[in-house]
Amino acid sequence: MVKIEIDEDACVGCGSCVDDCPNDVYEMDEEKNKTKVVKEDDCMACLSCHEICPAEAMEHKNIHVAKRLYIDRKVSGILKKII
Amino acid sequence: MEYQIEREEKEVLGDFKPELIPDACGGGIDDYEEALHVLMKFVGSMSSALEQVSGRGANAIVYQAGKRMGHEAGKMVEKTDDLEKAMQELSEILGVEFFFDMWKPTNQTEYTIEKGNETVVKLIFRDCVVRQTLRRTGLPQKGPLCYLLYGYTVGAVEEVMGIKGKLDIDHVGPNACLKTLTIKWGGK
Ligand code: SF4
Ligand code: SF4
Repeated sequence: MVKIEIDEDACVGCGSCVDDCPNDVYEMDEEKNKTKVVKEDDCMACLSCHEICPAEAMEHKNIHVAKRLYIDRKVSGILKKII
Repeated sequence: MEYQIEREEKEVLGDFKPELIPDACGGGIDDYEEALHVLMKFVGSMSSALEQVSGRGANAIVYQAGKRMGHEAGKMVEKTDDLEKAMQELSEILGVEFFFDMWKPTNQTEYTIEKGNETVVKLIFRDCVVRQTLRRTGLPQKGPLCYLLYGYTVGAVEEVMGIKGKLDIDHVGPNACLKTLTIKWGGK
């Protein structure tokens, strides 16, 4: 089962994840002006919400992590030293 | 003096005889990684150039090429009209680099939905070399390369089940893409 955790301190309440998720996993909590997870079981772990969130506020646990063969380890190694 | 190209890597020198069945590829993991990345860049550039020159027609051409490949691959496995068995066989044809599952929202009881003479099933592609290639080249997750995989999938299912099929894209993400496979019963 997928488990989604939202870092409420990081979330800026932009609602992008609510608009982007095709399975309506998120809803806006109008009082807090933060996103909230309402249909966790319908998450298919596409992670497009991760790409759209400006605050990197969510974490998906217990998912199939797709291979990332496109990563150039040499370049990543250099970047890690700089950043 | 003869001119020599300078390289950081040392050239591998050794003896070599003609061989019937090669038993070693040579090279280490870094060589494979580099080769994969070069291939990804080549294929990605080819795909975007194809789209620039032929527009949306490129998708149709590549879809047909993929379909032909799928039909060829589908000939290697047992024929069946059982969708679940066909999906099992499709996963063997596509292999681990195109790791997919059937998917349904929680409020739906079965994976399949019957609509007249059509059966619809959602497939979630979790690992996909096409996605990797597009990301490596900085291209969006659409266009000719995706159509190659659609064609391949449809061709294989058509061959295995002896039906007419169609694949539509529902949603793409960096970690998985959701597609709808529609099977039209009643032969080709
Ligand atoms: S991973 Fe995909 S399905 Fe899951 S919450 Fe994010 S956008 Fe929705
Ligand atoms: S996209 Fe990120 S910052 Fe925006 S509402 Fe969703 S979790 Fe919060």
